[in-house]
Amino acid sequence: MSEQATMTNGATACLLRMYDEQHEIEDYQKGVPRWCTGCGDNAILAAVQRLCRDEGLRPEKTVFVSGIGCSSRLPHYMNTYGFHGLHGRALPVAEGIRMVRPDLAVFVNTGDGDCFSIGAAHWVHAVRYNMNLTVMVHDNQVYGLTKMQVSPTSPRGLKTNTTPLGAHLNPLQPLTVTLGVQNVSFVAQAVDWIPEVLYEIVRAAYHHRGLSFIRIVQRCPEFMPGALDPWVRDPQRVLILRHERGLKLSPALAQIYRNQLEHDPSNIHRAREIASTPDPIPVGILYHNPDAPCYEDLRRNMDQRTTDMIRRGLEAEFDKFTITSHGS
Amino acid sequence: MEADLQAQLAFVLTGRAGAGLSPIAPLRLRPAPLARYRALTTLRHDYPLVLTSAPAGEPVILSLSGLFDVLLGEVGVGTDAERLRHHAFRLERKIREAVAAGATGTLSVLWDQAERQLLTGGESLLKDSCARLRGVLSVDGEVVGCDRALPVRLFTHVWQRAQARKVRRMQEEIDRLARKLSDILGAADANSETGLGAERLRASVGRAFANDFDFAAMSQLLTTTRPVVRLSDVRRARVEHLLATLRSHSFAPADFVFKTLGDALEAHAQRLPGLTALANTITAAGLEIDGGYRDGAHDAVFEALNGRELDPVDRARFPDYLVCLNADTLRAADIAKLTEALCAGVPLKVLIQTDDLLEPSQFGDSHPSAGLAARKLVQAAIDAADVYVLQSPSSHLYRFRDQILRGVEFAGPTLFSVHSGVGEWTDDLPPYLASAAALESRAFPAFVYDPSAGPDWASRFSIDRNPQAEHDWPAHDLSYEDESLQRMSEEVRFTLVDLLACDARYAGYFARVPKEQWNGCMIPVAEFMANGPRGLPDKVPYVLMADSSGGLHRVLVDARLIREAWRSREQWRSLQEWAGVHSSHVERALARERQAREAQAQREAEARAAEAVAVVEAVPTAAAATGAAPAPVAPPEPAEAKPPGEPYIETLRCSTCNECTKINDRMFKYNQNKQAYIADLKAGTYAQMVQAAESCQVAVIHPGKPWNPDEPGLEELLKRAEAFA
Repeated sequence: MSEQATMTNGATACLLRMYDEQHEIEDYQKGVPRWCTGCGDNAILAAVQRLCRDEGLRPEKTVFVSGIGCSSRLPHYMNTYGFHGLHGRALPVAEGIRMVRPDLAVFVNTGDGDCFSIGAAHWVHAVRYNMNLTVMVHDNQVYGLTKMQVSPTSPRGLKTNTTPLGAHLNPLQPLTVTLGVQNVSFVAQAVDWIPEVLYEIVRAAYHHRGLSFIRIVQRCPEFMPGALDPWVRDPQRVLILRHERGLKLSPALAQIYRNQLEHDPSNIHRAREIASTPDPIPVGILYHNPDAPCYEDLRRNMDQRTTDMIRRGLEAEFDKFTITSHGS
Repeated sequence: MEADLQAQLAFVLTGRAGAGLSPIAPLRLRPAPLARYRALTTLRHDYPLVLTSAPAGEPVILSLSGLFDVLLGEVGVGTDAERLRHHAFRLERKIREAVAAGATGTLSVLWDQAERQLLTGGESLLKDSCARLRGVLSVDGEVVGCDRALPVRLFTHVWQRAQARKVRRMQEEIDRLARKLSDILGAADANSETGLGAERLRASVGRAFANDFDFAAMSQLLTTTRPVVRLSDVRRARVEHLLATLRSHSFAPADFVFKTLGDALEAHAQRLPGLTALANTITAAGLEIDGGYRDGAHDAVFEALNGRELDPVDRARFPDYLVCLNADTLRAADIAKLTEALCAGVPLKVLIQTDDLLEPSQFGDSHPSAGLAARKLVQAAIDAADVYVLQSPSSHLYRFRDQILRGVEFAGPTLFSVHSGVGEWTDDLPPYLASAAALESRAFPAFVYDPSAGPDWASRFSIDRNPQAEHDWPAHDLSYEDESLQRMSEEVRFTLVDLLACDARYAGYFARVPKEQWNGCMIPVAEFMANGPRGLPDKVPYVLMADSSGGLHRVLVDARLIREAWRSREQWRSLQEWAGVHSSHVERALARERQAREAQAQREAEARAAEAVAVVEAVPTAAAATGAAPAPVAPPEPAEAKPPGEPYIETLRCSTCNECTKINDRMFKYNQNKQAYIADLKAGTYAQMVQAAESCQVAVIHPGKPWNPDEPGLEELLKRAEAFA
């Protein structure tokens, strides 16, 4: 809340809370998802809807921003505000919303192509700016919406429409890249087939003040069928990162996923080591720094954009041109 | 010698001065610790003060000495630093003398006057020093000395600055809300048929492009596609009403200063409905701007709120009422009314000035009233628990400047109790010294009670600013020379008796003892009282006093004043307990704890000793016990198991992939976390269950055994189901 709003905050907030309705999960659902049956996007959608309900987020105060891809269909299935934007540009749009409307809860849903390929420049600087956003990258390791092209995280050798002889390069490691950006504050990895952990990570990311980057390894049953089966079927190939300041596992899940590692999320060097070892898949909070400065706090805009101010600004600009009656 | 002692004892007990003892009034004595402060204008101390007109965020009160120290810090460097210091102190002293003589004006005016007086001799270096100091002087304001008018001027100044800030903040907030409400109306207007009309569109584009567009077509296009949501008439009327209410209010701090309590309370009663309406308007405007105003629901709430008094947080937005009163003119009815007003939370900032602290009470000339009226109010205010209370003599007001500011800004009623130091003092004791003496003697102790500082007395109440607050009386080292010109030093405690010795009305309770009659039975008052109010039977109490030429005198004290000093000491000790100094409750609890620990330690020691004896006696039988096996570790509890054959889903691990719900959405449903569970087994077939198990991405569906033995193809289905057992 801005300083100017504090005089009205107390009474206003009380009265708003008096009449706020309890929202159920259905209140955040809109439409029937058109994703393929078995798509990991469904699990991510369920997790964010559950988060909105559990945190009591007002639908009119929540916005989901996306780019292009299967992942980016998510705002359509959320009964909140949404912005389905251009390919690779989800992050700058979300940052703009954040600057102008600091009162909104802003989430970003992007994919491996949208974020790591065309949107890579925005990704790096968004991490550096560390604005208060929750960014979820739905990484299915392929361009799915456009029917199977190689993406930066596709495994080497994957045959696609654009790489008929197999992908030539080793995949990008998004976690190591993100952890290498100055001012990074929250990096986590989740998988769509462990929904409890996925939810806890999304919740921790929401509560973190700063840019929360979550890479969600998700299955694509249509274009990458069975690609992640070895990890889905074998719990040992998932490494759960737990810590009192990070992820805590329920006893039931701890019985299944016994491959666990005690990792302090404040230790960035260790986080980088873990991130550089993709198998077993590390799942949990790799890095968390609650004290990293946020751009909007450093550049808090105290100016009120009044009509008068805009008019004066426009007149100042127009005064730079000489307009004659003859139009010359 | 014996006769001298008898005469002294007789005076102490009866107040009758016998042979050899002389009255103190003609001698113009003052307590020895105050002797070195005769020429106050030559001493650097907190006064005079500068009530600055600096902008918000800068100090509102400065001491002249502190200000000169800052100026010297800026220019007093280099080889001429010493010269600058000397000249600065001369200028400072000149200003101080002028104020002590009654001069008034701002710092710049008094500075110029003092400079002119100093520069009559034409010293060029002095002129240079004055110019350099003036060059870095960046503050100005009224200069006030420690006199009768000081408390009212100082508190009014601080209050005005604080209220101006408050009014400015509130006005900014009201302007912000008004802008936002205007934006709502403006947006609605821009979206209306008029706003999207051709003429309005043409005007918005400007003449340069007036002929380049078909505005009629543009208007038709925009009108067709504009959002359906419009500002309803009810909401428009409400926004307009809120805007009108916000714009109709303005505040001037001067309207909130009153000379009498009655006027202040009357004004408060008259203005309260308007302030309530404005506060509610601000809240409603916030809701409107936030889009959270609910017609009907909030209407009822605000209607009810308009009839209620404001809560303290809302009330704190508006200026408080400043009332400056003199305790000497307060009657019992005034005290009762003020007490009630403070306890009721009326937003008052009240200054009670006590001039004559030692006026004899109605119960006898030897009983000083000690500011009874103010004490009653202070006690009642503290009892109310939500009133900010500050008590201080004038001498220490500068040191309490932060607390004064906090009190003025406190969101609730505040009571300032100040002793001005003005009274019937002997030897022309200046108010500054007199008020400081009142503090030292514990007759007018300084304290702060700040309800906003924390939940308990430890955080709210403080007596830290009293000198040597942990002692009954503060001790001072007094150095002097004896008749053989040897330096002597002794510790002197400043008690209430010392203060009473400064007041001409109590001169009759003192008697000077000639030097030749000094004896070992004469002991200082503080030492005398160590054995209770009646002291020691064969001792006589005295105070050390000094005359104007610096000669020391021992002055006997009537026992009635000793009893007053004792009472004052007991009151001070109560105050100490409130502040947690020498708290008897704490000391008792500590003593109990200590005793309990000692008893526990004793018991443990005895137990160990008994054990040692038992071990020694049991050694031959110990070997027989070593063969016993350790108790088995309890096995871990088994996980919750389902009845064999019952189909189930590990719901917590469901990834919401829709595979099973697509197969049969009556058999498989999502719970409140959008994770699947078996809703109705009978709604589908075993084949569908097995199919769902095979489709499940995370293999959390376990088909179990079929529930319908007549279902076809069970044999094959059971084989397929084995993988999910």
